[in-house]
Amino acid sequence: MLQRYFSIALVGLILGLLLVLLFRTTNQGEPTVPGDRAHELTVELKSLTQERAGLEAEARDLEQKLARARLGYVQAEETIRTQIEEATVLAGMTRVAGPGVRVTLMSRTGATPPGAIFAIRDEDLLKLVNELRAAKAEALSINGQRLTATSAIRLAGAHINVNLQRITPPYEILAIGDPVSLRNSLEIKGGLVETLRDWGMEVTVETENRVIIPAYKRPLVYEYAKPVLEASP
Amino acid sequence: MLVVALFLGLMIAVQFRAYREIQQTVPIQRVQRLMAEVEAARKERDLLQERVAGLRAELDAATAQTGLQPLKKKLDRYQIGAGIVVVSGPGVEVILEDSNVALQPGQNPNLYVIHDEDILRVLNELRVAGAEVLAINDERVLANTEVRCIGPSILVNNKRLAAPFRITAIGDPDNLESALRMRGGVVDTLQQYWGIQVSIKKMDQLTIPAFKGSQKYAYAHPYLEEE
Repeated sequence: MLQRYFSIALVGLILGLLLVLLFRTTNQGEPTVPGDRAHELTVELKSLTQERAGLEAEARDLEQKLARARLGYVQAEETIRTQIEEATVLAGMTRVAGPGVRVTLMSRTGATPPGAIFAIRDEDLLKLVNELRAAKAEALSINGQRLTATSAIRLAGAHINVNLQRITPPYEILAIGDPVSLRNSLEIKGGLVETLRDWGMEVTVETENRVIIPAYKRPLVYEYAKPVLEASP
Repeated sequence: MLVVALFLGLMIAVQFRAYREIQQTVPIQRVQRLMAEVEAARKERDLLQERVAGLRAELDAATAQTGLQPLKKKLDRYQIGAGIVVVSGPGVEVILEDSNVALQPGQNPNLYVIHDEDILRVLNELRVAGAEVLAINDERVLANTEVRCIGPSILVNNKRLAAPFRITAIGDPDNLESALRMRGGVVDTLQQYWGIQVSIKKMDQLTIPAFKGSQKYAYAHPYLEEE
């Protein structure tokens, strides 16, 4: 009796396996992975590798500074001065030069005006600048105004203010970085510049061997923000 | 008994085949391999970030001699501007969440989620109101920080961030808040037109982390000669 049950069970098991095989073979042909996951991961890996290289260089540099600063008072003072110099550049307080692009933007003359709602606005400049930042621009200016971490670009009445200074058209954005990637980020098909042109604006993007970007002209004053010193480990 | 066995067989077969098939496809193997590599690289990156932060703190301690204080004060100011020190102070916290508008069929759902331009406009408005230091989800905003839509997430300092977005700004809390709440201003537009949920909170004290990466310029060099 027990043996009988066992054989029935065995037959059932095999039948089940066969059924599934049948079902699954008829159900094939669907892709298991959306194609771009591997691509996305590769891009991420590349940027992590770059980040690591940058951090390693930074750590080496800090170690050298530390060793020097520990030698004595004079060396410590010298180290602070070096640090100030470097931070001054990053804070946008020095004039910088390098390869990059020159972008000009103005309303097209002679074309049928598509109406005032498509006149150049602060947000068009904001977006252009953002594209350039995404393409790894290192330093930026608009009509001679250096863009810092706190620079606003804003319509005030009929004019656009940058760093609270009024600027007038034509607008000229300078960016330092890899000239080709900077240009491509704007000129890409279906990209921002194409849209702005569709809206009736005249946009030119030129690569330059050297652009000179002025320093931020106002003093750095922090009334509210205070540095928090991290405890030494 | 027969039914139970049949069922069991079905389950075993499904499990086994599904697992083996998925494991063996090249796309999955690629993804697994890449995921492991990304994970390892990220760990190493985090360790390096800690090391750099530690070294900065040590350097700060090593240069803390009496007599050098005025110079250090000056350094602090530039380092705040460069985004390489942690700062704290009063300010506002703005939280942006995707729209809660019920879409009509045929409407583009993409128009009702937070875009990079929304965040750009909020940042810009805070800058107009005198924000001294800014961050998005604790990513310090630098002079060359981008805010970029990549699918459903946003890229800031090359880091992928997901909604809700928390923008923090140090400055005069009243000014910062009223600039955002201005009638017909950014927040009005986002809330009333696009249904994006915005909350603004004034803070007596908030802390904004330093930028964690390295900022070595490859193209820009100081230009010191006279014109």
